[in-house]
Amino acid sequence: MLVVSDLSKTYAPGGEPAMAGLDFTVGEREFVCIVGSSGCGKTTMLRCLSGLIPPTEGSIELEGRAVQGPPEDMAYVFQDYSRSLLPWQTVAGNVSFPLKYKGLSKAEAAAATEEALAAVGLADRGRSYPWQLSGGMQQRVAIARALAYKPRILLMDEPFASVDAQTRAELEDLLLDIWRRFEITVLFVTHDIDEAVYLSQRVLVLHKPAHVFEAIDVDLPAERDQMDTKKLPRFGELRSRVLASLRAPDTTSA
Amino acid sequence: MIRARLGDWALALVVPLLLLVGYDLWARGAGDFFFPPLSVIGGNFADDWLFERVPTDLLPSLARMLAGYAIAVAIGVVAGMVLGSLRTLAIALDPVLQFLRALPPPTLIPVSLLVFGAGDSAKIFLIALGALWPVLLNTVDGVRGVDPTVLDMARSYRIPARARLLRVVLPAALPRIFAGARTALAIAIILMVVSELVGASNGVGHTVQLAQRGFNIPEMWAGTVLLGLVGFAFNALFVAVERRALGWHHGSTGRGGAPTRRTRLRRERPRPVLTPTRTAVAVESAAAGPAPTEGSVPDARRQ
Ligand SMILES: Nc1ncnc2c1ncn2[C@@H]1O[C@H](COP(=O)(O)OP(=O)(O)OP(=O)(O)O)[C@@H](O)[C@H]1O
Ligand SMILES: [Mg+2]
Repeated sequence: MLVVSDLSKTYAPGGEPAMAGLDFTVGEREFVCIVGSSGCGKTTMLRCLSGLIPPTEGSIELEGRAVQGPPEDMAYVFQDYSRSLLPWQTVAGNVSFPLKYKGLSKAEAAAATEEALAAVGLADRGRSYPWQLSGGMQQRVAIARALAYKPRILLMDEPFASVDAQTRAELEDLLLDIWRRFEITVLFVTHDIDEAVYLSQRVLVLHKPAHVFEAIDVDLPAERDQMDTKKLPRFGELRSRVLASLRAPDTTSA
Repeated sequence: MIRARLGDWALALVVPLLLLVGYDLWARGAGDFFFPPLSVIGGNFADDWLFERVPTDLLPSLARMLAGYAIAVAIGVVAGMVLGSLRTLAIALDPVLQFLRALPPPTLIPVSLLVFGAGDSAKIFLIALGALWPVLLNTVDGVRGVDPTVLDMARSYRIPARARLLRVVLPAALPRIFAGARTALAIAIILMVVSELVGASNGVGHTVQLAQRGFNIPEMWAGTVLLGLVGFAFNALFVAVERRALGWHHGSTGRGGAPTRRTRLRRERPRPVLTPTRTAVAVESAAAGPAPTEGSVPDARRQ
């Protein structure tokens, strides 16, 4: 579904590359987690994939078409979630904002908004303003906006970074549920190795400047459960592998 | 809550009342021809402005002021949105704009009288020209200052360009636009008076000037008081409108409403907005020259 070939990005001409020779493929309905140290270029990668910034080199193909601008049917949950919300719109206004331009009728948009807010546990906060909510709630508004959009591919940049452990676990399961029900493809950037292994079918370990150091297949049972899955010996092995890969000295670097 | 408000009101009235009483006592004692007691000024005020001269002088003044102001805001916001979005154009036009805004509007009175004649158009032109700059330059800055994350969000959800401009950029720039519009309002009121000092046949400024020339001192003071009240009333009206339109902004920046995590974060970032003090400076210096605004047009904050 998504083919990334030899992607590189250098912000300042002649400067350090933020991304160099990134290569990977994501299949239809796959759930891929991306881990990498801070500053290794994960956000840069997502911004290129979403068509917001052009890569310096390389190509991105989404469903056979080259990505040049923001593609249809893609939603992107930003790392700066709170700054991606419109402070002059209510929570419900923020969630429904993109829907009108997607061609939904008012009633459809309202229904999708309500459903998405209920899914992230903010059903009763639709009339609040984002700045009246806590950081974690704002993050859930940004997630609800992406869910209501019903994308076919969802890019998420550390979306659960500022919620408590309990809410985080709930949101993880919610995301897995949505991923199954709506048959979408998810690219999920996280710093949390447990989260990466728990959620995904494959973990891409990036090294700086962003390139795939190792792709680790997560061969856990498809049904995930916060307690049972994490107790499996295989889960522990995969965690250790991801951790080792993150720490490994780089040998593939260009 | 309400009682506290009433208390504030009462407190705010103390100083003006003391000033008035003090002036009156002094004026009665001094008997200075140029500083008549309040009762005399008040009587004149009632004779002239309740409501004999309202249709003949006050309304024409206000109509010209509002017309000029409306033109300034309309052109300022539209041109500011364009210049704020198109960096190249802003750079190309910057020298011209800087020159025009540096021209003290009153120096254009002779030219505008030649071009437009002594009628209303010359005065409206002058008011519009003087009030334009703070709106225009603040709009440009406001548009430039829109959070890039919000723009990325709008682009990634494929919001059409027109809607991005009207429903993302415009609201985001609105606090700055209002700051500019407020300065512009003060300038418009000043230029309303200034424009009536030369080649006018009616208006409050014209009345005050005639009274002064005829040594009708109480009438001069009555007109001056009226101008003060007009300025006060328009400012109060403006604040009320702004409070409605920018309720979200005051909430999100923590002015009123409990501070949230986000408002604290926001406060840490410096927000270049024309503050009330700068507005006051603008009022004082406006008749003499250009209004202070932030930065020059092409200093892009980001590319
Ligand atoms: N707009 C930009 N202009 C110039 N350099 C940039 C820009 N954005 C990112 N960089 C640089 O690119 C590198 C990668 O940044 P990026 O934000 O992609 O990292 P990241 O992996 O998302 O980090 P984190 O985990 O902390 O979010 C960094 O060295 C950063 O300084
Ligand atoms: Mg990042």
